[in-house]
Amino acid sequence: MLRVHNLKKTFGAKHVVADISFTVDHGHIAVFLGSSGVGKSTLLRILNNLESLDGGTIMLDDKPLDITRVNQNHTVGLVFQHSNLFDHLTIEENITLALIQVMKKSPKEAKDIAHTLLAKYNLLDQAHKYPAQLSGGQRQRVAIIRTLAMKPKVICFDEPTSALDPLLTNYVAQNLQELAREGYIILIATHDTALLDKLDATIYLMQDGMIIETANSKEYTKNSQAYPLIHQFVLGEKNQNPQI
Amino acid sequence: MINFTLLSTYSHEFIQGTILTLKIASLGCLIGITGGIMLGVIQAYVKGPLAWLVAIYTTIIRGTPMLIQIMFIYFLLPELGFIPSDVWSAIIAIGINSSAYVSQIIRSGINTVGIGQREAAYVLGLTQFQTIRFIVLPQAIRAVLPALGNELITLIKDTSLASTIGVMELSKRAYFVQTRTFDVIGVYGIVAAIYLVITSTLSILVYFLEQRMNRNVTRS
Repeated sequence: MLRVHNLKKTFGAKHVVADISFTVDHGHIAVFLGSSGVGKSTLLRILNNLESLDGGTIMLDDKPLDITRVNQNHTVGLVFQHSNLFDHLTIEENITLALIQVMKKSPKEAKDIAHTLLAKYNLLDQAHKYPAQLSGGQRQRVAIIRTLAMKPKVICFDEPTSALDPLLTNYVAQNLQELAREGYIILIATHDTALLDKLDATIYLMQDGMIIETANSKEYTKNSQAYPLIHQFVLGEKNQNPQI
Repeated sequence: MINFTLLSTYSHEFIQGTILTLKIASLGCLIGITGGIMLGVIQAYVKGPLAWLVAIYTTIIRGTPMLIQIMFIYFLLPELGFIPSDVWSAIIAIGINSSAYVSQIIRSGINTVGIGQREAAYVLGLTQFQTIRFIVLPQAIRAVLPALGNELITLIKDTSLASTIGVMELSKRAYFVQTRTFDVIGVYGIVAAIYLVITSTLSILVYFLEQRMNRNVTRS
């Protein structure tokens, strides 16, 4: 279980993350919903040690999580908004590089892991292609595989569907749900309300660095009026007005 | 027009000169690229005294003529107890000069690699050295390959300055041949053609390398 308590982050005078607390169990999905600049991406970046922490505690499976070691320990992984695959490496090399250099696997072991995961995601025939030769959805899946290969307990997704069409959004949602079923703790930062009814997740609506409303996605779908702020955000999104 | 009789009569001189020119150019290039990559990485990643030292070094080297640098190396090193041959003095001077220019090219190449690439490497647990080695430098070099090619072409032509300290490279041998034949145009026409063949071959090689390195960044 991931427990985040009173997390704080300021940039100058601006409280980008202001006193955020939440808990996510293994096999569960937490969706951090909000407009651009509300602190949801910063929250994921803090958990991946890409931003320093100004206050708060993080516990994973009842032990304090040393955030400065999460990358070396492969406890937390991040799938970036734009995939951030290494353009000069093949798909296979994108996956095996960290396995060989960081996890000290032999090239054969690393290749086996990569091929197993690529086969699972129907991408084995793309192993020797370069990222620029893949579609947006395929690149997204490779980015997921690259993260999965490191066997993290927590996987963060920053705007996983922002650049995808509705068909691919459905597909990514299925992938996310499948990962949760496999026991990963899934954290998603998004402003894409189309994801909400496709996932069994806890929704945290964020504004000004704080969580202002929480809902279970299934309950929200059944009775959206019971969650007025999320409902208002979804309506705003539908009206192409991201402001609450 | 190339005087083929002259070329055939003094072919030994032209061949020996070309071989030495290529030796000075390739070893100077090796020092220049190795040193330039290290200096470029320092300038891009390190702050403080080491970065200042590199900045002073590149300012001095880029701000003074290579001819003066060759003279300095040739006459200064023996004063310091190192007595390299005249050929090695030229190689060291040309290598040092080239490293300053290559460092600036590499630094600009490093700046073209997006922050997202470094963040992805960081999140995967790669160390900064591994990130530079496996992610940043390959992409930086690909981005600056045309500029690096130009620098190497300049370096090949600059090897003629080694003649000033008595190195019997192509230009120096050409000078001796023309003092014997008095055919200045004929001799230097041949020398110009040889330089042109060498630099054109390098240009073509760089072009194919560029094509090869860029094949993966464009959609097939």
